[in-house]
Amino acid sequence: MVIQSEGASPTSYSTRYLDRTKMNNALSSALSFGASYAEIRLMAETTSSVRLKDGQLEHAIPGQEIGATLRILADGAWGVHSTTDVSNIPNEIESTVRLAKAVAARRPSSSNPIQLAEIPIHQDEIHWKSKKDVRNTDLDTKLSMLDNIHQSANDDQRIISVSCGWSDEHLHTELLTSEGMDRTWSFQRSMVNGMVTARDGGDPVSYRMRHGGEGGLELIESCDLETLGGDARIAALRLLKAERSPSGKLPLIADRDLTGVYIHEALGHPCEADLVAAGDSCLDGKLGQKIGNDIVTVVDDPTLRGGYGAYPIDDEGLDTREKTLIKNGVLTDYLNHRETAHHFGLEPNAGARAQDGLHHPLVRMSNTMIMGGNFNGIDELMEDIEYGVYACGSRGGQVDTGRGSFQFAAQEAYLIENGEITTPLRDVSVSGLTLQILNDVDGLTKDAKLASPGFCGKGQTVPVGDGGPIMRIREALVG
Amino acid sequence: MIPEDAIERLLDGCKEISKECELQHISEWEIVGSQGYGRSLDIEAGRISLASGGGEGGFGVRILENGRYGYAHLVDVSGATHAVSQALSIAKASPSIPGFSLPSSQKTSPVDGMLDDAILKLSPDDLLTQGDDIISEVASLDERAVVIGGGIGIGAEASVMLSSQGIEASGISTSHGLGVQVSIDVDDQMTSSWESSSSRKLMKGIPGCVSTAVEWAQKTRNPIEIQSDAVDTPVVMTSQGISSLFSNIIRPSILGERMVRGESYWSGKLNEVVLDNHLTMMDDRRMEGGFGSGSRDGEGVPTSCQTIIENGTLRKMLWSSRDAAKNVSEGRIDSATSTGSASRGSHMSPPVTGCGDVHLLTSKAPMSLDEMIETMGTGFVVHSVMGAHTANPTSGDFSVTSSTVLRIEDGEILGPIKQAGVSGNLFKALSKDVSLGTSSTRNGVSSTGTNHLSDILFSQGMRINPA
Repeated sequence: MVIQSEGASPTSYSTRYLDRTKMNNALSSALSFGASYAEIRLMAETTSSVRLKDGQLEHAIPGQEIGATLRILADGAWGVHSTTDVSNIPNEIESTVRLAKAVAARRPSSSNPIQLAEIPIHQDEIHWKSKKDVRNTDLDTKLSMLDNIHQSANDDQRIISVSCGWSDEHLHTELLTSEGMDRTWSFQRSMVNGMVTARDGGDPVSYRMRHGGEGGLELIESCDLETLGGDARIAALRLLKAERSPSGKLPLIADRDLTGVYIHEALGHPCEADLVAAGDSCLDGKLGQKIGNDIVTVVDDPTLRGGYGAYPIDDEGLDTREKTLIKNGVLTDYLNHRETAHHFGLEPNAGARAQDGLHHPLVRMSNTMIMGGNFNGIDELMEDIEYGVYACGSRGGQVDTGRGSFQFAAQEAYLIENGEITTPLRDVSVSGLTLQILNDVDGLTKDAKLASPGFCGKGQTVPVGDGGPIMRIREALVG
Repeated sequence: MIPEDAIERLLDGCKEISKECELQHISEWEIVGSQGYGRSLDIEAGRISLASGGGEGGFGVRILENGRYGYAHLVDVSGATHAVSQALSIAKASPSIPGFSLPSSQKTSPVDGMLDDAILKLSPDDLLTQGDDIISEVASLDERAVVIGGGIGIGAEASVMLSSQGIEASGISTSHGLGVQVSIDVDDQMTSSWESSSSRKLMKGIPGCVSTAVEWAQKTRNPIEIQSDAVDTPVVMTSQGISSLFSNIIRPSILGERMVRGESYWSGKLNEVVLDNHLTMMDDRRMEGGFGSGSRDGEGVPTSCQTIIENGTLRKMLWSSRDAAKNVSEGRIDSATSTGSASRGSHMSPPVTGCGDVHLLTSKAPMSLDEMIETMGTGFVVHSVMGAHTANPTSGDFSVTSSTVLRIEDGEILGPIKQAGVSGNLFKALSKDVSLGTSSTRNGVSSTGTNHLSDILFSQGMRINPA
C-alpha cells in the first residue's frame, strides 16, 4: 500500500517515504495538465499513548501512521487529494487538476484567482533531534513515570479516581513541490497528563494537569512528576470547598495558563489571515491600528523549542520565525500562509500547519504569548482590587472571530477582596469582546513564559503552546 | 467513489494479520480494518475555495492472553509482525482481567438506512453544484447574507471485523454533511450563525439548516440594551444550543465505568429519580440511518436499544465487555455484561464504552417554540453557545457564552442581546420543571454517535449574565 525504505531502523532519520523520481515526475505532469503549482506533502507519525487508571494500565497503544496530500493550484483554485495509499498519488494528478479547474470555473467574477506569495526554495533536511529520542523509551519507563503522578495524586481518601496519560509522537514530514522545493524535517512531542476526581459526600469535582512540549523523554524527566500529581490533588481537594462564582463585570487576574488561553482565543484566532480574508474576523482592516493598551505586545513563535506549538518548517516549506502580532497595542501583522500573504500583500510568515499528512495546511498559531510588563508579582497586581476574581488553570476556550466575542474557563479561582485572595471558587468562566478587552488589560507581571501544552481546533486539531505573564484585566464578564 | 472490492481488500488485510496472530500463538485476537473514501468542498467568503477527495484507512489489532490485553494499529499489513509483537508485549505488561474474553459470534440483523447508493454515485461536479446552490440560496434569502465559512462533504466507509471467536463481519456506510457560517456584515454591524446538517442518505435540495443560519444572522441584528445583572431565569435552549452541553456533560455520565467509580454525578443513583419524571433517555444503536448505529458495536457484540432513564428514573448504565468484566473483577459492581455499547473512533483506537444515538423524550405533550416562549413569560432563548467543552462533566456545572440570545418579556420576543454568559448545572436543570419541544434534531455528529434533542424549556437552574 505504501512505499517504505527498507532496512532503516525504527529510530532512523534517514528513512525516506517519497520516491523522488516518481513524485517529481508526477508534479511535472501536473504542470503539463495546466496546474500553476503542485505539491506533495507526506507525514509519517510514530506514536505512543499510554493510560493508567487508578494505578493500573488501562491501555498502551503504539502506532505507525502515514498519509500524504497532493495539493494543486490550477486556474487560481485549489484541488486536493489526500490518501494513505501514497504510491498511488501519481494516478491522482490529472483528476486533481481537473477538480481545481472545476472549482475555478465556478468562481464568481467578484473573486480574485488564488495566487501564492514567493518564498525561498530549499532542498535540505532539518531534524530537531531530541536529547533523548522518545522512540527509545520503553513501556516500563513510561509506566513508572505515570505511577509517580498517580501515587502523589491519589494520596487522600477523598480522591476517588486518578487517571494519568502519556503521549509521544515522532513526526517526519517530506515536502516536494513543482517549484523545486525538496525538504524533509522531523521533530518530536511528548506529554504527560492526568485528571484527579475528588468527592466528599457531596458532588464530585475534578482537576486536570498537563506537562509537555516539543522534545523527547528529557522533557518529561525535567518535570517533578510527584509535584505535578500532588498539586493536582491539592487543587481538587480545594475545589471540594469552593463556592459558586459571582457573576458580573469584575476586575480579573489571570494566571499564566489563562493568560495564554485568553490571548490565543481573543487575539490569535482573529489574527489568522484566512479568517480575515473570508470576512470572519473582527480585525479585518485594522492592520496598523491601535487595538489594545500600550502594555500589550503579543508574539507567535514556532521557533520556541520546547513549546508544544514549535515546529522547524511550516507545512508549505517555509523556515519558521517569530511573528509580532501586536506591538505596544498596535496590530502589526496577521498570521498567514502563502495564499493569504499574497492576498494582503504581506510577507509570508510560516503560519501554514496541517493536522497530519491527510489534511491540507490552514493558517494556525504556534506558541502564542503576551510579553511581560512592569509588575513584580501578583501581590502588586491585586493591591488595588477591592472585589474581583483571580482565575487559574485552563479548561479551554472558544471564540467567535467574526463577532469578536470569546469565552474561556478556569480550572479554579479565588475571590479577591481588598487586595487579598480569599474564598475559593469553582467553574469560573470569562467572556468578552476582543476589541474591548485588549484595551482593558492594565497590568502584566515581568515574567512571561509558556504555560501548559494545549490543542487548538479549527476543523483540524493541532498542538499549540500559549502563555505570558500574570495578567490583570480592568473589567471582564465573569460567570 | 468506493472501489467495488473495498471489503475484499480489507478482509484480505485482516486475514493476513490474523495469520501473524496465529504464528505468534495468540489465543484470542480481534482485527478491524476500515477504509474511508470521501469528497468535500470548502466555502469561504461566498465562494467555493477548495475541493478535495481521497481515502484513508488502516487496521487495528486487539489481542488477549490470559485476560491481559494489548492493542496496536497499522496502515500497511506488511507491518503486521511488528504490530502483533507490540500488542503482545503490551498485553504482558497489562493487568489480568478475570472473566474477560473477547466477544463470541452472535446472530445479528442489519440496521436499515446506513448506505445510500446515491452518495456513492455523486460526482465531484454534483457536489460543486450543491455548493453553488447553497451560496445562491443564502443570497436569495437575504442579499446582505454571505456564506463566509463551511463546506459540504460526502463519505463512504468500508469496515471489516475478524476475530478468533468466529466473528467475520463487514459493511459499507455512507454520509452526507454540510455546515454553513452565514454572516450579515453591514452598517458596521456583523452578525453570524453556524448551522449544520447530516444524514446517511443524500440530502437533496437545500437542507433547512441553510435558511436557519440566515434567520439567526438576521434575528440577532440590532441588539437591545437591557439593564440587568446576572439573573436566575427561565431559558429556552434550542436543540443546537443544548446539544453541545449535553454531549459534554450527560453522555459521559451514563458510562458504566464512570458510574461505578464515582466519577459520574449519577453514581450510586441507580433506580433513583434523576431527571424530571416525564423524561426518558434512550441510547438506540439500531436507529435507522443513525450515526452511532449498526448491527454490531465496536467489539462485534449485537446492538440494541437501551433505555437508560425511564420516566426520570435511572435504570441502566452502558458497558463494553471489557469494562464490564474489569469492574466486576475489581468488585466495583456485582454483575455487569456488555450492553453492546463499545465504540471506536477509528482503527487507531481500541474499543471503549460509548454512547451511540442518544434520544431525550417526554411523555408529556411537547410544546412548539412559540408555546415555550409564551409559557416562559419572561426569560431568554439561547440558540448556540461557545465553550461547551469547558463544562465540567463530573459536576455538571457549566459557564458558557452566547451571542445568539433573545430577550423574552410577557411571552413576546423583545429583541436580541449582544452577548450573555449562560451558566448552571445541567444535571440539576434537567431534574425538574423541564418541557421538551415538538421535534428533535440530530446534533453533535461524530464518529461515535449523535444526540437527538428537541428545544428544551428550563424553568429553573439557569443563570443569564448579560454583557
